[in-house]
Amino acid sequence: MDVSQYLDIFLDESREHLQNLNTNVLALEQDSENMDTINEIFRTAHTLKGMAGTMGYKRMQNLTHDMENVFSEVRDGNIKVTSSMVDTLFQCLDALEEYVTTIQETSDEGDNDNQPIINALNACLDAKGGEAPKEESAKKSKKGGKKAKEAAAEEKTETASAEVPSIELNEDEQKAVEDAMLANKKLYSVLVKVQENCLLKAARAFLVFKAIEEFGEVVAANPSTQDIEDENFEFEFKVLISSDGELAPIIAAIKSVSEIADAYGGVFEGSSSDSGKAEEASEPETAAPAEKEPEAKKEEAHEAKTTEVAKAESAAPAKSGGSAPAKKAAGKPAVNRTVRVDIEKLDSLMNLVSELIIAKNSLVSSATSLGSNNSQLNDHIEYLESVTTNLHESVMKVRMVPIESVVTKFPRMIRDLSKKLNKPIELYMTGEETELDRTVVDEIGDPLMHLLRNSADHGIESPEERANRGKPEVGSIYLDAYQDGNNVVIEVKDDGNGIDVDAVRKKAVERGVMTEDQAAAADDNEIINLLFMPSFSTAKQVTDVSGRGVGLDVVKSKIESLSGEVDVKTKLGEGSTFSIRLPLTLAIIQALMVVVGNEKYAMALGGIQTIEDINPADIKTVQGREVINLRGNVIPLIRLDQVVGVESTRSADENMVVVIARKGDKLAGFVVDELIGQQEIVIKSMGKYINKCKFISGATILGDGEIALIIDANALI
Amino acid sequence: MENELAISKAGFEENSVVTTTQYIVISLGTEQYGIDIKYIDNIVRMQQITRVPQVSPYWKGVINLRGEVIPVMSLRVKMGLEKDVETKNSRIIIIKQDQHEPIGVMVDSVKEVVTLSSNQVEKVTGEAKEDGYVSGIGKQETGLISLLDIEQVMQDM
Repeated sequence: MDVSQYLDIFLDESREHLQNLNTNVLALEQDSENMDTINEIFRTAHTLKGMAGTMGYKRMQNLTHDMENVFSEVRDGNIKVTSSMVDTLFQCLDALEEYVTTIQETSDEGDNDNQPIINALNACLDAKGGEAPKEESAKKSKKGGKKAKEAAAEEKTETASAEVPSIELNEDEQKAVEDAMLANKKLYSVLVKVQENCLLKAARAFLVFKAIEEFGEVVAANPSTQDIEDENFEFEFKVLISSDGELAPIIAAIKSVSEIADAYGGVFEGSSSDSGKAEEASEPETAAPAEKEPEAKKEEAHEAKTTEVAKAESAAPAKSGGSAPAKKAAGKPAVNRTVRVDIEKLDSLMNLVSELIIAKNSLVSSATSLGSNNSQLNDHIEYLESVTTNLHESVMKVRMVPIESVVTKFPRMIRDLSKKLNKPIELYMTGEETELDRTVVDEIGDPLMHLLRNSADHGIESPEERANRGKPEVGSIYLDAYQDGNNVVIEVKDDGNGIDVDAVRKKAVERGVMTEDQAAAADDNEIINLLFMPSFSTAKQVTDVSGRGVGLDVVKSKIESLSGEVDVKTKLGEGSTFSIRLPLTLAIIQALMVVVGNEKYAMALGGIQTIEDINPADIKTVQGREVINLRGNVIPLIRLDQVVGVESTRSADENMVVVIARKGDKLAGFVVDELIGQQEIVIKSMGKYINKCKFISGATILGDGEIALIIDANALI
Repeated sequence: MENELAISKAGFEENSVVTTTQYIVISLGTEQYGIDIKYIDNIVRMQQITRVPQVSPYWKGVINLRGEVIPVMSLRVKMGLEKDVETKNSRIIIIKQDQHEPIGVMVDSVKEVVTLSSNQVEKVTGEAKEDGYVSGIGKQETGLISLLDIEQVMQDM
């Protein structure tokens, strides 16, 4: 058996636990007396330690162990949560995260012991003062070595009176037993109990077997080794060990495997498995020891647990208080109605759905070209259309994940920033449950982080300045997410200084981005948009938080690569709001098919407002640009035939078909030659070699196999 | 004379292993070019190419190859020759390098597959190499074949 098959689960779960710890430690900082939080932290830390131990990551285990010690002292009320302690804990969590990352990359934990953090953690323990800490550390140093053995030995004498677990043997095993007896080896029968909340029972069992192999040999097991490997056992199993040595160290070794609740046994005196009777008899017999002294066993389980946290002596009072919540959590996990699926499988499913939609489109187009009035065929096609649309929606929903997974790390980040910048800042988040396509969620973390850092660094003023302006000293940053039609909007809002448009204007002239006249003529929106240009930072002071001139332009390009857009609203002295608008889905969209010249193009239906029939006589010219006046709105015209470089099929005096599209609060009219209609299209990438022009966002394959390019109206408005 | 050649050839073979490479021979106008077969994914007949606006002139557009959108370039324009004239012999060669997306290359015709051993190939070096996509000249009874440096062609976009 190999532990590596558990690596993925381990990584996934470690991340989850670390995120949990981060959130809870943050909560602890706010409310250091909350017992629920402390218990939760303790439990999570303990699980994490167990997991790291199982996987054989010693350094990670050690660090978690020391962290757990601190929590355990906090839980017992021996030390108080202080700000410096929280800092240390966060450092420790970061270090653990680093281990996880290293493990993911190299499947090895690396060789960083993180000794300074361990020392700092121990310093936290020492902080409770007096004699106790010395005793504590002395105890700790002994732990795992002699101490555990002693404790185990004591327990052994306790359990010596317990019945020796019987074990039934098959013929081969019987023979192995005889051989071992002939070789003058001692045979021990041992019952091993796994904690009921143990997640990787087979992995634990594997480690138990490994521990035993250091002393002797496993002659037989019940259930069979195969069943144990396949996790086909409840919470206990029996092994028959042949060894030259004593039983006590073996038992101690078994118990040192984490999440092993108990192990006991005795000298094996032979079995009577050749008769069917024994097999029947063995059933109640095996159950007996477990039933007989559940109380004693429980005590021992506690004992084993407490030795683990190096508190054997002071265990008595902690035992009742400490283990109770752990027991509660140990209850049968609620039946999970979810399935973990590899994202690649979802991607291939999505691709298949895309193919299906293309195939459906082909069918539709051949049915139309047949021009048949066969209503039955049309009914079938309509039915097929509704099925594929639903199928597509369902697959999209499966791929949707709440943005929670990225935003939960932000409170911690803002806390750290707040300390670093010496500005008290509070982050308020809403709409964490808003869902987006998995690929978008994966990508959205960095841009959001940039925006938050930006708000914290440039937006929020220093506390003195805020006091002067009559604002509350604590700055507020809001992260709000909500769904708006086919889009998801994420807003980062702060009540800071806002953008000083005139400062940006000056800067633009200084940098030579604009001439003075241009700058004076430009409206505020145009000026603010300059901030999204590469290497345009207005921070007077370059800090290591932001202000290196990278940031907003990266945010913009990232969001645009996700087919989204960024928008800023700001009021000097009152704060600014950055809104990110993202499409719900990326791969399949509803599009309006148009003809320009003799080429077919698709335009995303999302941004399209209306389609107008315009008389060329109504076109006016403003500042050299063609505009139309549509119900009081002056809308600039964009002639697509000129943009794509083809000859229009319409004569100049014919009425024009104008598609009105919106981007933010701007409108534009696209002049096309013909409309084909609305169609569901699958967006295909054109590869990085050819994608040179900005307004072509991709291509799609039409029903007849022809390719139509997708025009990104946003890039032209 | 003949003897001498044989000796020198034998000596050559002793010193270094003679490797053979297969090339697909294509024609552009009157010239023959060879493309290392390891880069070639597929050869397809001409089909409808969708023009893409505002791209470099050597891009012909995109084609639909079994549901994938693949950009196609004109090797003629890329090599500084006259524009392609589509005939029934025109072919699109789909080139696939590891880690890269496939692209199509339009050629006048595809002639044959030849196997050249390394001593039949003369490396092009110096100036000639710098301003072109030809990495070597293959010598054959039927004539000379300019061997294309596909990686260079792909890099230069």
